[in-house]
Amino acid sequence: MTHADDGSLDSPGADPTDHDGGPSRPGAQEATHPLFGPGSEFHEFFHDPRWALAMIRATVLEAAHPQVGAALIDNSTFVTHPWRRLRNTLVSLQRMWGSDEQARQREAQRLNRLHARMSGADDRHRPYDAMDPAVRAWVVATLFESTVTMCRLSGQPLEQDVMERLYEEFRGFLAALEGHADHLPVSLTDFWRYYDRVVEEELENTEAMRIVLYKLFDHLPAPALLNGLPTLWAAGRALVGPVIGAVTVASLPEPFRRRAGLPELPGAPTLMQGAYLAAGLARVLPEGWRRPEAITDLLALSPGSDDPRARTVTALRDAMHRAGALIRLISPLSPEPEPAAADSGPRRGAEEFFAEVLDQTGNGYLDWPDLAAMARELSTRLDLDEPEENRLYDAFAAWWRELQAALDTDGDGRVSAQEYAAAVPSLAGPALIKVAEVLFDVTDKDGNQTIDAEEYRALFRTAFHRDTAATGTTYTRSAFVKDFVSFMTGRRRSSPYDPLLAQA
Amino acid sequence: MSVRGTPRHVACVMDGNGRWAAQRSLPRTSGHRAAEAAVIDVIEAARSAGVGWLSLYAFSTENWSRPSTEVGFLMQLVRRVVRKHAALLHARGIRCRFLGVGDPRVPGALARDFADLMTLTRDNRGMTLTVAFDHGGRRDIVEAARSLIRSGVPADAVTEESFAAHLPFPDTPDVDLVIRTSGEQRISNFMLWQVAYAEWVFPQVLWPDFRAAHFLDCLHAYQRRERRFGGVLPAQSQGPVRSQGEGPGRGRNPHPTPEQPSYQHQNGADRT
Repeated sequence: MTHADDGSLDSPGADPTDHDGGPSRPGAQEATHPLFGPGSEFHEFFHDPRWALAMIRATVLEAAHPQVGAALIDNSTFVTHPWRRLRNTLVSLQRMWGSDEQARQREAQRLNRLHARMSGADDRHRPYDAMDPAVRAWVVATLFESTVTMCRLSGQPLEQDVMERLYEEFRGFLAALEGHADHLPVSLTDFWRYYDRVVEEELENTEAMRIVLYKLFDHLPAPALLNGLPTLWAAGRALVGPVIGAVTVASLPEPFRRRAGLPELPGAPTLMQGAYLAAGLARVLPEGWRRPEAITDLLALSPGSDDPRARTVTALRDAMHRAGALIRLISPLSPEPEPAAADSGPRRGAEEFFAEVLDQTGNGYLDWPDLAAMARELSTRLDLDEPEENRLYDAFAAWWRELQAALDTDGDGRVSAQEYAAAVPSLAGPALIKVAEVLFDVTDKDGNQTIDAEEYRALFRTAFHRDTAATGTTYTRSAFVKDFVSFMTGRRRSSPYDPLLAQA
Repeated sequence: MSVRGTPRHVACVMDGNGRWAAQRSLPRTSGHRAAEAAVIDVIEAARSAGVGWLSLYAFSTENWSRPSTEVGFLMQLVRRVVRKHAALLHARGIRCRFLGVGDPRVPGALARDFADLMTLTRDNRGMTLTVAFDHGGRRDIVEAARSLIRSGVPADAVTEESFAAHLPFPDTPDVDLVIRTSGEQRISNFMLWQVAYAEWVFPQVLWPDFRAAHFLDCLHAYQRRERRFGGVLPAQSQGPVRSQGEGPGRGRNPHPTPEQPSYQHQNGADRT
């Protein structure tokens, strides 16, 4: 923790070589402006509410890049599990921009491993690769440009020197990820030329971009906290979704809007600037209300979690549930008797399980990226290092081959919901049991053959539920494997795995 | 031993809806519909009498064998009643629970209303109203046994208390008084474990006619009784105690006491 003092501006003697992991350092006066951590320009923005809008805009610009778009469509869980994805992104950004150099390197390695598993071809058979340095440079470029634009649009443009320092930080971010920042121009002037060229020549109206703009917010599932109020959530979403879409479209660069054929709505620019201005004003809110990670944490906290805030959250959720129950109870009944709504039995239907748990990417098919997304989520939660992560991925890959062999009856290489529903009982094969065993091994960090309270919490983010099966305060291998297999074959509905893999 | 307070836990077996309808040459379903008023009246009477726990036997596991049209009507009726009175029950601070409701034949919408009402009123501190719906006393005991075996308790360690902890809603106290209307004198598989020491009264009145006054009469009948829990009273007959209990009981009762005459009056008619 020798980096703890990096941010203090009153220590001119701070050794600038602390940042030797970063790219070339332009000048000595920059010693008071660390690239990462407290005191950096980006760190000032991290808690800015306008970032919510800027992030959406950056995501749209990313998704409009054909390679990124194809990678998102194939691999990302952001349509079905947007809140989980958002939380993981924020945690990752925090590690990458924090003052702890070791944590940054570790996170960079993790991201590299994660991206190295994402490659393929889009539907026009053009290859994509999440490790392509030019593609990654573009992702960083959209983040930088959206930050700058967000300040411009809210009427508080950045000073030239602040902008240059910010650009240097983003190049440092890319360098931490790639080892070098060669694919982003050295000077800010050249950057704008690079940016305009990509916008005008490379961006397309991709499917991923349309999903982010028009589908994501119209179908955004309620975060865990608001699960009890589906009606209220849907009503708010119906109102806010299109507004977010319109605001984002209006904030995109004009040449791209023209090329992608995006609509010019009357009043949209005013609405957009109003939104940025309002979000900018939200900066006067108390500190604690503006921490995005705190808010996403709150939204993602599941009941019964033993987080210090869980009592409040549980109380809040209870109040939400009661309000939801009351609304449902007092809302008038439709005059005709409802058509046999008998599907909501305690046993989870095969199709429901398929949609909630197995189909992580939400494309209606079970495919390797779905299982890879599970492996990704599990290794993110457990913060695994390379060998364990590989074991977990390998186990999931073996399970995928087993599933494919057993279920893919029409031979199209993927499993549809119908194919799955037809074969549910035969699912607990040896490869799935192997997945459970590997998961047990990597969760059991101290290797004592039981999962104790702390290891359990790392995986499920909740304390042990003392249900009838659990004896004592540890989880044995056989009980763990049994529970995991019965969850994964859709036999058990309520279990700690639900928040882990099914929650939005 | 003979403390004659208000019973803590009163249970009602709501019998006689069909006969009530038959007496009036109405379809059985209208008897069920007429039962709603009695239910609401009794809930209110129990609450104001200071009863802490009220259980109502609405639908037994055996009732599924009734004609499907009647069962379907009952499901709809119960759903309507639950939704109609949900807000009021909550406002009165009544905690509502539904005992049973395990059969897949219970419509999903109804099960959700039950769950919603339980969620809504979970933290209420007033009277606890337990509605036994799709309930069977034996089934609860079997379920408890299963749960006990699953928890791996050694046979010697099982006591009445530890067994009871595996029953649904284990915080429910033993039933002190069961009221079965319409003069029928059977247990009908109702909360078998909890009624072990209960006093039973069998008013002749049919459930749709059962009102607050009848309910209070039953409470007084209970208060006049000697509860011994299998023990022996110290060398005295029940006579003086009964008259002792009867005095203040009658004095407190704001209602006329129609029990004997009215029960006999209805006695002749209710079996038709």
